[in-house]
Formats: sequence, C-alpha cells, structure tokens
Amino acid sequence: MSPSERDRLIDALIDGEIPDADVLRLEAEMSIDPAVRSAYYERLELSVLLENTLEAEVVSMEATASTRTWSKWGLSAMGAAAAVALVSGIFLGGEFGSASGTSVAEKQATGFGVLVGQVDATWSNDTNLKEGDLVPPGPLQLLSGVAQIELFSGVSVVVEGEAAFEIHSPMDVSMGAGKLRARVPEAAQGFRVRSTEGDVVDLGTEFAINVMAGQSEVHVLDGEVEWHPKEGATQLLDGGQAMNWRGSGHSEILTADASAFVGVAEIGVKRIESRYSQMEDWMNYSANLRADPRLVSYYKMGTNDPWSRRLRNISELGSECVGEGAVVAAAAVADRWGRLGHALDFSPMGSRVRVVVPGEYRSMTFLTWVKINSLDRWYNSLFLTDGHDLHEPHWQILNDGRLFFSVKKYDTNNESTGQQAKYNFHSPQFWDASLSGQWLMIATVYNVDGREVTHYVNGRVLSREAIPEEYLVETVEIGAASIGNWGEPYSEDPAFTVRNLNGSMDEFAFFEAALSDDEIADIYHHGKP
Amino acid sequence: MNGNKNESAVVEQLTELQLVLRVYVQSLLPGDSSAHDVTQQANSTIWRKRGDFEIGTNFKAWAFSIARYEVLNYRKQQARSARLGFSMELNETIAEEISTRSGELESRHDALQRCLESLKAKDRELLLHRYHSTATLQEFSHRTGRSVGGLKVTLHRLRSVLLNCISNRLEAEEGRV
Repeated sequence: MSPSERDRLIDALIDGEIPDADVLRLEAEMSIDPAVRSAYYERLELSVLLENTLEAEVVSMEATASTRTWSKWGLSAMGAAAAVALVSGIFLGGEFGSASGTSVAEKQATGFGVLVGQVDATWSNDTNLKEGDLVPPGPLQLLSGVAQIELFSGVSVVVEGEAAFEIHSPMDVSMGAGKLRARVPEAAQGFRVRSTEGDVVDLGTEFAINVMAGQSEVHVLDGEVEWHPKEGATQLLDGGQAMNWRGSGHSEILTADASAFVGVAEIGVKRIESRYSQMEDWMNYSANLRADPRLVSYYKMGTNDPWSRRLRNISELGSECVGEGAVVAAAAVADRWGRLGHALDFSPMGSRVRVVVPGEYRSMTFLTWVKINSLDRWYNSLFLTDGHDLHEPHWQILNDGRLFFSVKKYDTNNESTGQQAKYNFHSPQFWDASLSGQWLMIATVYNVDGREVTHYVNGRVLSREAIPEEYLVETVEIGAASIGNWGEPYSEDPAFTVRNLNGSMDEFAFFEAALSDDEIADIYHHGKP
Repeated sequence: MNGNKNESAVVEQLTELQLVLRVYVQSLLPGDSSAHDVTQQANSTIWRKRGDFEIGTNFKAWAFSIARYEVLNYRKQQARSARLGFSMELNETIAEEISTRSGELESRHDALQRCLESLKAKDRELLLHRYHSTATLQEFSHRTGRSVGGLKVTLHRLRSVLLNCISNRLEAEEGRV
C-alpha cells in the first residue's frame, strides 16, 4: 500500500465513508505496520483539533446569541473569557440597539479592548482593573503580575509588570517600560507599538518587545516586523530574529527568545491555578458560614448527581426547618470558578428554584452570587414570594439597573390617603451592559432594629435608606417562594408575566439577622472569583 | 475538605484531558458519528465516579479505562446493527498506543491555528463546513457549485497540507530554542 493510498483510506475511515473491503485491507496493514497506525493517529488528531478549533471559532461568533453553549465540555476558561469579551465588546459596534427599545440614544461605552485575564496583577492606585473590564484610554501602570488584553482589532497582548503603557487605539499602543507580547491576526496587520527608541510595526503574526531604560529589545516570534527607529533607517526583522537597540549605531542582532515573554497559553494555565486556589479558600470559608446559627437557607446551585433537580439546603441549623429547593427549567452551567454544572442559568423561559420558607422573621439578609446577561425584562427576579401577600418580601432588579426590595405592609393602596401598600427601597443604578457576563455578589439587609434597608454590590454599600415608620414590618413571612423568578405557580391561568432572571446564579443565602457591613465585605472578600 | 480538593483536581484534569479523550474514543470508533456522544457519556461517568479517583495516581489512565468501558458498552448495544469495526486485538493495540502517545497536542493545536490562517478563504470555508455545520457535503456542493467528489479530494488534500504545515512549524520552533 503506497503512503498516498494509505492516507486516502485513513481519511475515508475517519469520515465514515469507507467500503468494508477497504476496512479489512487497512486493518491488515495497521496490524503489522506501526507506521500505518502512526499515520492513523496523526490524521485522527488533526480531525479532532480541527473540530475543536473551528467549533471555538463558531462559538465565539455566536456568543451573543446564547450563553448556554459555554457549558459545552471542552470549552476552556479562556474560551469563556473570550466569549465574555465579545459580549461586552459587541454593543460598542452599535449593531444591537438597546434591549428595551425605549431609550432614545444608543448605548455607548468607552475603551479599546477588554481585560480578558490577569494573574497576580496589581495596577497603580487609580486604575483597579478586573477581569472582563473594558480597558480605559490613558496611561496605565501594571505594578506586578501579568495581564492579557484583547483589543477590538483582534490583537491579543500580554503585558508583564512592572510596565507602563497606553492604548491609543486598537491598532496603536505605546510602551513606556516593561514587556509586551502581541499576537496579531491578519485583520490587524500594521499594528504598532511605540517606544522611546522607535516603533515596531507588525506585518503578522507574533512579536514581543521589552522596553528598558535607554534601550528596546524586539523579538520576532513568528512572521515579520518593521523596526522604525527614531534615528536611522527602517529595518525588517524576520521570525526568529531579535534586536537590541540603544540608539543608532548601537544595535545588535540576537536570536528571538519566546520563553522570555509570557504567552497567552501560559497565562491561561496560571489563571486556572489561581482560580482553584481561591475556590479552595472559599470552600473553607463557606464551610464555617454553613454553621452560622443565623443562616436559615443556603443553596449552592449544583448537585453531586447531575440528573437530580433538587438543591439541598446546606445550612447546618437552618436545614431543620427549611428544606430543599426544586429546580424548574433552569439549566446547569459553570459556576464562578468555571466548574461545569455548579450554577444554574435561569434564562430558559419559566426557570426558577421553588422553596418553602416557614416561620416568621424579623431582620433579614439576602445574599446571592449572580451573573447577569441582560436586564431585558421590567422586573428581573432574585427572590420573591408567590403573588405578594401581607408581610412578604420581594427582591429583584429593575430594568434600569436598580436593586429593588420591599416588604408588603398593607393589603391595598389607600386611594383617599395616598398611602401605598408597601414602601419600595430602590438602590441607585448599579448595573449596565458593561457588567454583562460578570459574576457579582448582591446582598440586601432588612434591619428592623436599626430601621434601615441597605443594598450591597461586591461587598460595598450601594445605598442605605431608613424604613419609614408607617411601613415597618416587624414580623416578616415568606412561605412559598421562587429564586430567580416570580409568579403564582399554583394559578390555573396559563398566562404569566416574564420575570425570570436572564442570567445565572451559583449561590443563594438567607439569614434571619441583619449582617453588618464588615461581614458582607468579608464574605465578598473570600468568595470573589 | 478532602472531597473538595479531589473535586477541583478532577475538574482541572478532566478539562485538560478533553482533546486527548476525544482522540482516544474516536480512535476506537472511527467514522462513527456517535463517538461524540460516547465521549460525553464517558465524561459524565468520570464525573459521577470522581470520588473513586485517588489523587496522586495517573488520572489519564483512570479516565481512559472508564472511556474504554463506555466504548465497549456502546459497541454491545450496537452489536446487531454494527458496522464493520476493527478486531479486538487491533483495538487493544490502538488503545494502548494512543494512551501512551506523547502529549504535544497543545503545541499542535497552536501550530494548526497558524496553518489555518495561511489557507485560502474558500478552503477554510470548506473545512468549517465539514467540521462544524450539520449540513451535508451535498448541500455545500449545491451552494458552491463544486462537485461532491471534487470536494472530498480537496478535503483530503487540505488535511495533508495542514499536517505538513504543522510538522514544519513544530520543527522550526524546536530548532529555534
């Protein structure tokens, strides 16, 4: 069998289009000849790599259409980050108008790219960038650690601290000091990095630059770059070449050294490692939290058995009186640590977790970790009792990005006195589309003794408001309720309003006490991904 | 706490293993469109049995033994409608060789991405169609006005071109360090 015939048969076999007679011939060859088996493995690996690569390409193109594809096995943390980047980036392109269709001006945001990943990164005081943030224009200083930025041109750069740099446009970055490694796709050829000694212009596909005092070093890892020195003639550098430049007449050609610069794959691995170590810290912390006597119910939105649709109340004392949650429609997705099947996506129509919370409560704290895709309903549910009966709480987010909390005090609004049935505690707007796809910790404290309601996002006080005397409810009741939705599930009318949260949750906790600002901050500090 | 450690270790290793696991299952079920489902089934079983995995032992070997079992299980179910497959002995050899193949899949993956960039747009489109779309080659043939036979030959040629490109790139990279 000639190598070309061998390869043709192997491809036919992999494609499932091989006649039986040829299977037998191939099998005979494979049984005796390791070279044929080796060719088989090689072509099979190519096939799987192609599937994986092209799938990732399509997934990122479709990222705006559905977040559920992220739950696919094999999609790495980097893939999800890239998809987040796309979702955050898309609305800048202006192709998608505002979701509600009511606002007059199209939404805008500022930035030339997205910080898709960072490890041990410390930014200078005035910029505290988190993963998923848009990278602002203006000078930036990375004091330590590494950061990966995807520019809207398609260029991916990894910056190593200590570094000072500025993004002028998605095609133009200046480097005051430090190391930068850039991967430049075809669409972004001509990408420029400026340094004090000169400019590097990429002709495709990967290079790195190290800017030091009085000298710059350019390494061409793949493809070609042009070096435009401040003094002297333009030079062309090829893949594998590097150049140290100390002003005209003092240049030296070296061999490119990829290992001297952190690459995209390396940062990906480091991110996974640091994320898991944070997760372990949280597991330890939340084990103590479970034993907190004030904790009534605590659900982590994943089960050991992927087919079970029940969530155990893991509060040690609270589970005596509040039982399991029942999952309806919500789909299993990755939690804030990237673990598949440990969070619930409430975006499928009708999604909710049904719970029954018996008893009477005085002060309360509601706390959850959520990832919101968009606030495209008027009311976006967090935790609401069925209907809205006397003395019951409702906790949700309005479509303008404000948190909403209320406890019903009277049966109806009083037309003659103008007194409402309840007082609504609104926070200022905290959410806009730039937070889409980011995990947030949201908490609200109803403090009867302190006579105030406080809203929190990511451990910080968002707003605090006194409870008006005439609306104070000292004995709160909950009963049947839904996490992530609202309605009258026992109603015989099939019509219902759409209020399910368009997003995911991985934890929900309810305390029968008002937690302090410090306690909320502490929980966030240990639980942030 | 030990359980949690175990869990995160399994998640991490299982995520890393995804590509190799797919190669492993497909090598034993060549051309079978159910290979993907069998891989998922294996993932699900590995996840369910994660408590059995002992940290420090070879995760890949443990996961592959589960995948192997799932393949056999699937074959048993399909026995009646079975297409012609390899003999037991050959499958044994394949399973062993694939699981001990040196893992440079990651660097091949990177190289492949670069190699894809060097292809013509219409060739990339054909590959995208073949490896992602659910539509048949016939439909693609209608749409593009190219014959099915011609497309198959092109696909075969493209794979050979890509394999060549990958090995050249890897060699070049090794030479550079």
